[in-house]
Amino acid sequence: MPCQQDHPGETAMADGSSLFKVSIDFDQSHLFFPNIIHWILLILALLIALTEGPKVLRKMRARAEENRGPEASGEKDQTRKIDWLRLLGMLVLTILYFYVMEPVGEIFPNTGLGFLLTSIPFMFLLSTLFVHTPGRREFITITLSSIISPTVAWYVLAQMFNITLP
Amino acid sequence: MEFLSYLSPMFFALVGFGVIVGIIFGAIPGMTATMAVAVCLPMTYALDLINGLALLLGLYVGGISGGLVPAILLKIPGTPSSITTTFDGYPMTQKGEGERALKTGITASLFGGIFSAVILFLFAPSLADFAIKFSYVEKFLIILFALTVIASLSRNLLLGIFSGVLGVWFSLIGSYDISYGGNGEYRLMTDAMVPYLESGFSLLPVLIGLFGLGTIMQEAEKGIREEVGKGKKLDLNGGTPFSFSVFKGEMINLIRSSSLGTFVGMLPGVGGSAASVLSYTQQKNFSKHPEKLGKGAPEGVIASEAANNGLTGGALIPLLSLGIPGDSTTAVLIGAFTLQGIQLGPLFIGNNLDTWNTMMVALLFANLVMFFVMFFAIRTIVKVITIPKYLLYPGIIMMCVVGAYAINFGIMFDVWTLLFFGLFGYLGQKVGLEVAPFIIGFILGKQAEVYFVKSLESFGSLTIFFTKSPIAMVLWVLILISVVFSIYGMIKQKKNNNKHA
Repeated sequence: MPCQQDHPGETAMADGSSLFKVSIDFDQSHLFFPNIIHWILLILALLIALTEGPKVLRKMRARAEENRGPEASGEKDQTRKIDWLRLLGMLVLTILYFYVMEPVGEIFPNTGLGFLLTSIPFMFLLSTLFVHTPGRREFITITLSSIISPTVAWYVLAQMFNITLP
Repeated sequence: MEFLSYLSPMFFALVGFGVIVGIIFGAIPGMTATMAVAVCLPMTYALDLINGLALLLGLYVGGISGGLVPAILLKIPGTPSSITTTFDGYPMTQKGEGERALKTGITASLFGGIFSAVILFLFAPSLADFAIKFSYVEKFLIILFALTVIASLSRNLLLGIFSGVLGVWFSLIGSYDISYGGNGEYRLMTDAMVPYLESGFSLLPVLIGLFGLGTIMQEAEKGIREEVGKGKKLDLNGGTPFSFSVFKGEMINLIRSSSLGTFVGMLPGVGGSAASVLSYTQQKNFSKHPEKLGKGAPEGVIASEAANNGLTGGALIPLLSLGIPGDSTTAVLIGAFTLQGIQLGPLFIGNNLDTWNTMMVALLFANLVMFFVMFFAIRTIVKVITIPKYLLYPGIIMMCVVGAYAINFGIMFDVWTLLFFGLFGYLGQKVGLEVAPFIIGFILGKQAEVYFVKSLESFGSLTIFFTKSPIAMVLWVLILISVVFSIYGMIKQKKNNNKHA
């Protein structure tokens, strides 16, 4: 990378502003921009900590105090309740689904059957997890939908369009 | 007129199909046009560019329009941009004028959509011609401008910028691409990750993860509640029936709102609710009966819906002329172009004139289909919003997996990327990070790096960013305006918050 200092027009202008001169070593140029980004992220993080930090601390303190009072805490839980069962259940099912898909697919290579065979139980289980009022009718629709939709998706994508599936 | 030969029945069928699926997505609260496009992308793998775009543009128009259904009937915006439709649409439903409100909104949407398509057609090629002369310096400044604009629309200025820069950071993972003039060295990762992340994270799994999986996680946290009460009958036709005379005297409103929508859509990185909020407040300022707005005035619905469909054409302008997405949905469209091996930028329209013309046809046709489908089948669509989510969400996760897996022809790592970014999107929003700035940063990050480093390598001084050309200075003025505007907005917001507190 030739240095730019021998540009006659440039030097005249840059005399007063040699501060702004930058030369980049090509071998290290892949680190130049990421370094700048790191600095920006760091500065922003500090600014955020300065402006938002006090607010968050105040909130946390307020919440800690609320928890001490027995009546107030119950009310709070009602409004911002996290449905841990559905959230974690979904995560576990999804991870399992992703994890099993490929090994199953390897039993029937290049058919996309791994996708089909894992999607049906996944959809069935996830729907069952999500449904609020399980009844006969709901189970029939869940069963039907979890068999039909993966089959249609598999048939259209893997068979008709030759899209690679696990 | 050679492009006419591309217009097969298949082409129109795909636009129509896209619009209908889009409307359904848009009509279901919590699912957006962005999600519709992201989830349906795998279907385009097997199509060629023109047919693929037909489908995606249909989805885009349908998705944005469908949002008005739950906004009017349930007071839940189906897409963020229909938030202001709820202000007047829902009161109209309460008065028993649901169908009138819906049809008013649909007609206004058609106007906004066509209006913005025309602007797109006239404006994008000349902007592209202008942008061809841009060097690295100006291109970098445009990206910088895009990043400052998104920041100004974030809920929290600092966190918005932080999210955007974080997106840039994620986009830099991998090698500094030789084909862009980099040195091919790896950075920001360990040796163990090289086989997976050689060329960084793929755009699509990141997008689908953030918009698809992340959204479903948020819903799961809330326990997948159904917003539509069972057995609750909606009285659609109690009051004044719909007639086109609603639009009498609303021409100025229509044009102003559509223009505002198109203009806001054009600003890179902006999208969603900003356009409709802006035009709604303008309508309120100019209205003869400002006191009626918010209590079920059709003009409010008109302003909001004309603006949010005006977005569609507007957001495509920077995408097709500069290669910079106008909103998060067009960001996903970039993925579709990349998939077909087409580089978006100033040269796109000139080099792909046929594609450009067919896109315009698709956009116009999509708006017409949207109008006819929604106008005449509105009662059927209303039923769609009652599809239970426990059936819908598992299906969407399944489609997300297909999209992520198939994008690079069967790499399981992309499916894990999907999960990673799904979790990232979900947890990130807990601590205040924002998805839209992140995505824009992620998409533009690599280009920003190349333009920035190349500018410095060839000029050797930071001052070049100010002195390169008059255009560069104009861009700096725009950047400055955007920064000042966002700081002003932040201060104003703080004052408001203090008042409320």
